[in-house]
Amino acid sequence: MSSASMMPLKEFVDQLETLLAQAGTAFEAAADNEALENVRVEFLGAKNGKLKSVQKALGSIDKSDKPAAGQKLNEVKTSIQSAFDDAKQRLTSGSAERTADAKFDATLPGQRIHVGRLHPITQTINELKDIMGRLGFTPAEGPEIEDDWHNFKALNIPESHPARDPLDNFYLSVARKNVTELGDNPLLMRSQTSTVQIRVMENDQPPIRIISLGRVYRPDTADATHFPMFHQMEGLMIDENVNLSDLKTVLKLFATSYLGDEVPIRIRPSFFPFTEPSVEADYYWNGKWVEFGGAGIVDPNVVSAVGYDPDKVSGFAFGLGVERLCMIRHKITDIRYLFTNDVRFLRQF
Amino acid sequence: MIVSWEWLTQYVDLKMSHDDLVDRLTMSGLNHEGTEPVAGDQAIDLEVTSNRPDCLGHIGVAREIAVLYDLDLKTPAPAPKSSSEKIADVCSVDIECPDLCYRYTARLLKGVKVGPSPDWLVKRLEAIGQASVNNVVDATNYVMFECGQPLHAFDFAKVDGGKIVVREPKANEKIEAIDHKTYDLKPGMCVIADASQPVAIGGVMGGAESEISDQTTDVLVEAAYFNQMSVRNTARSLILHSPSSFRFERNIDSAGIDYASKRCCEIIMETGGGELLDGFVDVGEPPKTPESVSLRRVQLDRVLGIEIPFDKAGEILEGLGLKIESQDADIIKCVPPTWRKDLTREVDLIEEVGRIFGFDKVPDDAPVPMAASYKTKSDRVLDKVRSVLTAAGFDEAMTASLVPEQWSSAFSPWSDCDPLISSQPMLGVLEKASQNIGAVEFARRSLVPSLMEARRINEYRSNPEIELFETAKIYLPEDGEAKIPTQPYLVAFTTGRDFNQAKGVVETLVDSIAAGQCPELKPFDHELFDVNQSGELILNGERLGFIGTVSEAARKSFGLRNHSCMVELNMDCLEKIAVLIPIHKNQSLYPSVSRDFNLVMDNSIRWSEIEQTVRKSGGELLEAVKYLETFRDEKKDGPDKKRVLLSVTLRSTSETLTGDQADSISKKIIDDCEKNHDAALLA
Repeated sequence: MSSASMMPLKEFVDQLETLLAQAGTAFEAAADNEALENVRVEFLGAKNGKLKSVQKALGSIDKSDKPAAGQKLNEVKTSIQSAFDDAKQRLTSGSAERTADAKFDATLPGQRIHVGRLHPITQTINELKDIMGRLGFTPAEGPEIEDDWHNFKALNIPESHPARDPLDNFYLSVARKNVTELGDNPLLMRSQTSTVQIRVMENDQPPIRIISLGRVYRPDTADATHFPMFHQMEGLMIDENVNLSDLKTVLKLFATSYLGDEVPIRIRPSFFPFTEPSVEADYYWNGKWVEFGGAGIVDPNVVSAVGYDPDKVSGFAFGLGVERLCMIRHKITDIRYLFTNDVRFLRQF
Repeated sequence: MIVSWEWLTQYVDLKMSHDDLVDRLTMSGLNHEGTEPVAGDQAIDLEVTSNRPDCLGHIGVAREIAVLYDLDLKTPAPAPKSSSEKIADVCSVDIECPDLCYRYTARLLKGVKVGPSPDWLVKRLEAIGQASVNNVVDATNYVMFECGQPLHAFDFAKVDGGKIVVREPKANEKIEAIDHKTYDLKPGMCVIADASQPVAIGGVMGGAESEISDQTTDVLVEAAYFNQMSVRNTARSLILHSPSSFRFERNIDSAGIDYASKRCCEIIMETGGGELLDGFVDVGEPPKTPESVSLRRVQLDRVLGIEIPFDKAGEILEGLGLKIESQDADIIKCVPPTWRKDLTREVDLIEEVGRIFGFDKVPDDAPVPMAASYKTKSDRVLDKVRSVLTAAGFDEAMTASLVPEQWSSAFSPWSDCDPLISSQPMLGVLEKASQNIGAVEFARRSLVPSLMEARRINEYRSNPEIELFETAKIYLPEDGEAKIPTQPYLVAFTTGRDFNQAKGVVETLVDSIAAGQCPELKPFDHELFDVNQSGELILNGERLGFIGTVSEAARKSFGLRNHSCMVELNMDCLEKIAVLIPIHKNQSLYPSVSRDFNLVMDNSIRWSEIEQTVRKSGGELLEAVKYLETFRDEKKDGPDKKRVLLSVTLRSTSETLTGDQADSISKKIIDDCEKNHDAALLA
């Protein structure tokens, strides 16, 4: 084609149409990225691409036809470009032709994210709080280091009671001291969560419906079934006429919620200084009676100790060991596992 | 308490089946722990609560059965015949320590033939797991297991001077007990002595010297009432627990002493002959008469939540041995028996009536009113903390609240006050390799050392990815033991990630609790931490906590092999800033513009300073400042210089920012950085 002679518009358009058709076929035929790149250079190459050659002919179009020629050129250029894009897309995603790639192994392990686990005791406590919350009990907090009054005296535990034996408690002092030198109201690591009952009743008026949950301490030597630190849940309900039947009802609702099934429960007499009558509660599970905690009607001495009138208000209290529930639930065989913090243990829950 | 089925039949007619009996006993307070068959008999193990020492003898258990099944209780009425010789002429008793021994009685038998017990006696004792010794010792044991009163028999010929002195031990006094071990006697213990030396440890065990032997002919029978705490302390400190000390610890029936003594003498005479001297020596306090107690019908119903026929209540109390003084439709007045010291108040009687009537009759479908419950703020914040930390890959740990001294003193950033020390150490809580560290007896003032130990254990066990956190209280005394210490709730974590990542966890945590908040870092010099990679975290002007990479020295002393970072935060501080219900702010509908700056500045300029300047200069349109990286090129920038690359995001809430607007803010930022920090923009 001579550059001096003028080219008619039609010829220019025909050339473009032909080019577009060729390019379309070539792009579709490209089987891999390398082939596609070759085709791209052939048609769209900036220096010697076929489109570039046709474009050069634009100069020899009559002036009046130039706008129409330019418009056509742009259309074709866009179409070729999009044919290239489609081909590229097809090769990348494989959507156009689903060819299997033996190199890709979909059964390789996924890349996991490491998510931590809550301690099984925390999980048990959360469950207990949840159930008791639905029964209208609000959590209450109290100090872990308590005084003798809240841990014993106000709970009707007399001086002669074995629970107050210095060998059975972690009494505390600033300097090392003999227990007998500790004074009238010595400090100790609380031996039960019942202390919180006293604190709540000292500050609030009935009706009261609380649970207290947390660490308690008794100097048992650690072995498979003992640890000098463990967790208790204590529930307390005080109102004008709260009786043993209310207690039994709440315990039954609790057991049913916890076990996820309607279970028979029973209460049988027991002895705790801070309740009278005192009972032990059992639920019937897997063909036998399983102990789940101590309970009773708050002893009038306790009711009086916090300044209530035992003839006007009454209530019940119950307590249970969290470790026991947790260990039964997860079939944990040694309580020490709970406090060794081996991550291989913790990550099982 | 093990009871024999056959033995019980002496007092009550057991027509019921074994299973029915143990079930009823369990449901009325004597929990059945198991039954073993023994040579034609059954040994039934019952758990007796500490308020019921009366059930530490067969008669007590039989009484319960009689009441439960409405049967007659037949108890023996001992009436041993005595000779004319008076005991007072040959034997005397003196109590020198009336606080330790309230009452002491003695009976004397002469001419007893000591030998093997008859079959019936051997069988009774063997059924409950007691080996037969000889007829005299067996008689004392038999009576103890019959009525709960411990007894002791002395070879009277070995009692120097025929004299019993109940006293505290003298200095360095020792005794060889009948187990043939020698015990050091200490002040506060109660010793039974003769004119020259101790012959028994009161209430705990007899002495070898005066024990009954084949040569014994004269037997002194002791029936006494010892102080329960003294017996408990003595048994405990000597590690010498006996069926006798078990009963004294739970308090015995002083009024039943004479009965037991007579019953014992009767059996000795029955099995070994001899003569009982006339009378008995009785020294100390006479038994107290119980006071009468009233039971109101309304209270009975009010506490138990069931209606029990009031006549039935009276029958139950009577069956249990209470003496009814008067009863009408509304009130019963009665006197408890001496063996039931636990019955002193109305509510005690309510329990008795309730448990015999049957707690199984108490309904478990009472209409308990509904009540609202609340999740406390601290629980909500705690949940948030736990969910962020688990999402960040931390497993929750739980460590003991008492620690060895070494850990206690290793890190106490929250208080300079001395820790509280426990009177008892925690035993068995340290992992093997740490057991030589020292007694676990200090109330901890930080969770960090405990988590370092948890980390060490995991390192030792080759566990990968040791990422642990704990939430717990620490104990900070303020005013000695006169006051309950402050006990802030902390969250601490240990991570193998680097300092910046650990800090990022803290920042993420704070931002999750109160969006947009970020703690500042103040220098914090502590030998537990690396000198550079450490700091005190400040939030809203308050101390949030501490962060640091564990120093080489601390790694060594805690036995840690690898790098780790520790963080400890105060939950109170987090709770204060917590926004539990975030308030929505309109998000801008316009696109943002980003600009990157590469600033050259002195090494000493802290990022926190630059960030502050950029934020201020960026003004309202500045949405975010992001640190990208730091470079050093000494050749080009000279020594002590660094290049800090940062990116700012600008956005308006009301329009799309133009390039000019962005440029003018950028210029102000660059100018201010130059002015404030001598930081130059790298072209």
